[in-house]
Amino acid sequence: MNEKHSEATPPGRKGNLTGSARKLKDNAADWHNLILKWERLTDEGSAIANKIVNYRISETSVKEPDIVLVDEGSSEAPSERRAHQSNPELEEECVNLQNIVDKMAHILLKMEKIVSNETGVYNLEMFQFGVQGRPAPLFQTWSTQQFAEVSSKLYEAYKQELALKRTILQELAHTTNTHLSMVYLSCWLYQPYVEDNTKLTLESLLMETGHRAL
Amino acid sequence: MSQPALLLLQQELRKCFQSVQVNKEVWRSALVECSPLISSLGNLAEQLRALKSVDLASTPLCHFPDLQPRLQHKLAQAVDTVLGKLSEKIETLQGVRDSTSKQVFAVFQLYEQNADSLDLHTCVARSATSPSIADMLEWLQDAECYYRVQYIQRKNLLWTLKPDDLTLMEAAPKRWASLDSPDKEERISDALFQVSFFMESE
Repeated sequence: MNEKHSEATPPGRKGNLTGSARKLKDNAADWHNLILKWERLTDEGSAIANKIVNYRISETSVKEPDIVLVDEGSSEAPSERRAHQSNPELEEECVNLQNIVDKMAHILLKMEKIVSNETGVYNLEMFQFGVQGRPAPLFQTWSTQQFAEVSSKLYEAYKQELALKRTILQELAHTTNTHLSMVYLSCWLYQPYVEDNTKLTLESLLMETGHRAL
Repeated sequence: MSQPALLLLQQELRKCFQSVQVNKEVWRSALVECSPLISSLGNLAEQLRALKSVDLASTPLCHFPDLQPRLQHKLAQAVDTVLGKLSEKIETLQGVRDSTSKQVFAVFQLYEQNADSLDLHTCVARSATSPSIADMLEWLQDAECYYRVQYIQRKNLLWTLKPDDLTLMEAAPKRWASLDSPDKEERISDALFQVSFFMESE
C-alpha cells in the first residue's frame, strides 16, 4: 500500500515525504543520544551529590556537641555560615553539581526543540493532507501525530526530572537531616519521573524508525 | 586383592580433590561477586527507610506530584534487580554444593564397596608424599559439609528477606558477613596443599 501511495504522489510531494521521514528518524536518534548523555550526567552528578552529603555528615558529626549545648535557633545560623566559609571542597563540589545541572538544562533545551520540530512536521502534514493526515504511515505503523505525542511525553518526563534535580541542587548542601539528604540522593539517582514506560517509549520510537531491528 | 581396590580408590580421591580445587575457586569468586550486591541491598534498605521517615509534604520536595510512591517504586524495583542478581549467584553456590556432594558421595561409596579389601593398616598408612586414605576421606567430608551448610545458610538468609521488612534487609549485609568462616575455608586450602604431591603422583 505504501508503495502504491508513493507512486501516486507527485514528485514535489515525494521530496517532502522523505524530508519528514528523515526529520523524524534523525529526531529519534537525537532522543537516544540525548537520553544517553542525560544518564551519564546523572551518574556523574550522583557521585558528586554523595560527596556533598558526606561532607555535610562529617561536618555535623564534628559540630554535634555545639548543637547540643546551644539552643537550636542560635546554633543553626553560625554553623551554616561556617560551612560556607570553612569548606572550600564542599563549595567546589556544589559548583560541579551546578555544572552538571546546567548541562542537563542544555539537554532539556534540545529536547524541547525536538518537540517543537515534530509538532512542526505534524502541522505541515495537516497542511498537506488535511485533518485525517497522510494515508499511509511514514515508517511502520505510527501516525505523524504519534511521533509528536511521544516526543512531548518524553520531554515532560525529563522536564520534571530537571526541576527535581534543580531543587536537589539548591537544598542538598543546606540540609542537616540525614534522612532527607538520603531521599535527595535517591531521587537524584533513581529519577522517579523517568518511568519504565518512558524507556519503553524510547525503545518503541527507535524500533518504529528502524534504528532498532524488528 | 587389595591393590586394585586401593588404586581405584586413590584414583577417585585424586579426581575428587581436583574437583574441589576447581569448585573452591568458583565458590570464592561467586562470594566476591555477592558482596557488592549485598551491600547495595543494605543501602537500598536505608534509602527506603529514609523515604519512609521523611514527610515529603514538609520539605522543599512538596511540589513534586506523587514523588513518594514513585521513588518507592523505583527503589523497590532496584531491590528486585539486586535480589535477582543475588539469586543467580546463589545458583552458582548451589552448583558447587551439588558437584562436591556428588563427588564425595561417589568416593565414599567406592570406599564402602571395597571396605573389606582395605584393611585398617592400608587406610591409615601415610607416606612423605601421600596422606592416609582416612585423612583424605575426612577432609573431603569436611569440605562437603562446609559447602552444604554454607549454601543453606546463605540461601536461607536471602529467602527470609522481604521488601516490606526493612529491618531484616538493613541487617542483611552484617548477617551475610557473619556467615563467613575463613578458618573452615582455610582448612579446605590446607587439605589441598597436603594432597598436592598425592595428586601429582599417578
